Amino acid sequence: MNQIAIGGLRSVAQVRRPTRRALAKQRTREKIAAAARTLFTERGYDGATIRDIATAAGMSTGAVFANFTDKSDLFAEIVVAERQALVQVMGDAAAAKPPLEAIQAMFEAAAERHLGDLALFRATMSAIWSTGLGELVRNRFARAAVGDVLGPCLRAGVDCGLLRGSTDLTLVADMLWDCYVSAIRRAALEGAGGEAVKRRLRDEIQIVLAGARQAQGQLSGP
Amino acid sequence: MGGREAQKADTRARVLAAARDLFEEVGYDETTVRAIARRAGVSVGSVFTGFSCKADVLGQVMAERLAELYAEIERVAPHLRGSTADRCRSLFALFYAFELRRLRLFLAFLASAFDWRAGGAGSGFGANKRLRAMVRGCLADGIARGEVRADADLDLIIDVLVAAYAWNYRTAAGDDGDVARLTALMDRQIGLVFEGLGPRA
Repeated sequence: MNQIAIGGLRSVAQVRRPTRRALAKQRTREKIAAAARTLFTERGYDGATIRDIATAAGMSTGAVFANFTDKSDLFAEIVVAERQALVQVMGDAAAAKPPLEAIQAMFEAAAERHLGDLALFRATMSAIWSTGLGELVRNRFARAAVGDVLGPCLRAGVDCGLLRGSTDLTLVADMLWDCYVSAIRRAALEGAGGEAVKRRLRDEIQIVLAGARQAQGQLSGP
Repeated sequence: MGGREAQKADTRARVLAAARDLFEEVGYDETTVRAIARRAGVSVGSVFTGFSCKADVLGQVMAERLAELYAEIERVAPHLRGSTADRCRSLFALFYAFELRRLRLFLAFLASAFDWRAGGAGSGFGANKRLRAMVRGCLADGIARGEVRADADLDLIIDVLVAAYAWNYRTAAGDDGDVARLTALMDRQIGLVFEGLGPRA
């Protein structure tokens, strides 16, 4: 074949190949992420090595590093993917409910999910305090912020006169999450039953929301 | 105290001091028991005589610091002024000022609070009875003064405040801890909670 014909074939192939390669790369990434998730969950951040993750995924360490910068990058991606799933679950739980009930429902759904699978949550919450890894994880969480589902509910609460308009909703959302993290931690430490935990969490959420409630006398309307 | 007892006590004190400094200087994860032993001038073996593991060392370092914290609170407590919310603010400001002197140590302590695996330290963070009693006393006074409603569940409120107090530290990890910033944030959080604690109309 002459050069032009070969060149022609190659350019056609190049239009198709990136898509296949991209798909293959995506599959590789997913396999690595799945293996990493299992190992981080079982052994925590420090206990899981890139070599072990690569082996579990049936890949070389080179393949891992081709897809992720380093172990902290890999961990952060796992943790953010998990957070995205959580936020989705919380958003679904809020659907079609009045604002304050929606908030309670969101946290109840979150608790259901976490209480059923504490290990990754534990690894995440443990890592979040460290300077390097913690900051990386916290920055990535901006992509899947719990505030993104809490915010609309809180704003709806203001709009229908249940919460004071002057309330700092970010402050409220953050405090609700603080309570939640703390409640799950206590549950895990004490091995407390799901219902007791959820009840206490509801009460704590009520305390935070009470701070933002519109005083009864100020409600407009009949 | 017999000679052996005295030596054990001396070793313990040296290990705790060395660990406290190393956890702060290089970080908890980065500190090995060997490094602690070396800094303390004792053998690794004698470290393990007094402590079951590194996490146990951390737990006891924090327990030792409590005496200092209690003393500071006791000094300040008689002078607390203002509304219940303000007194609460002063207490938490004190906690921040104290812990931020050795921030990395406290962050390690918080991290260990999430280590609930079997054999993990699972620290008693948030459970310290004496510290909780101090906050409780503040809130109880608030009820007596009519600033907090009589049927308020004080333990629940303490849990909410402690959760906020702890979680605020996550923002400290990056900038080496700014007492003023954390205290200002806690002030607002306390303000929010107290808005909802007043006597019902």
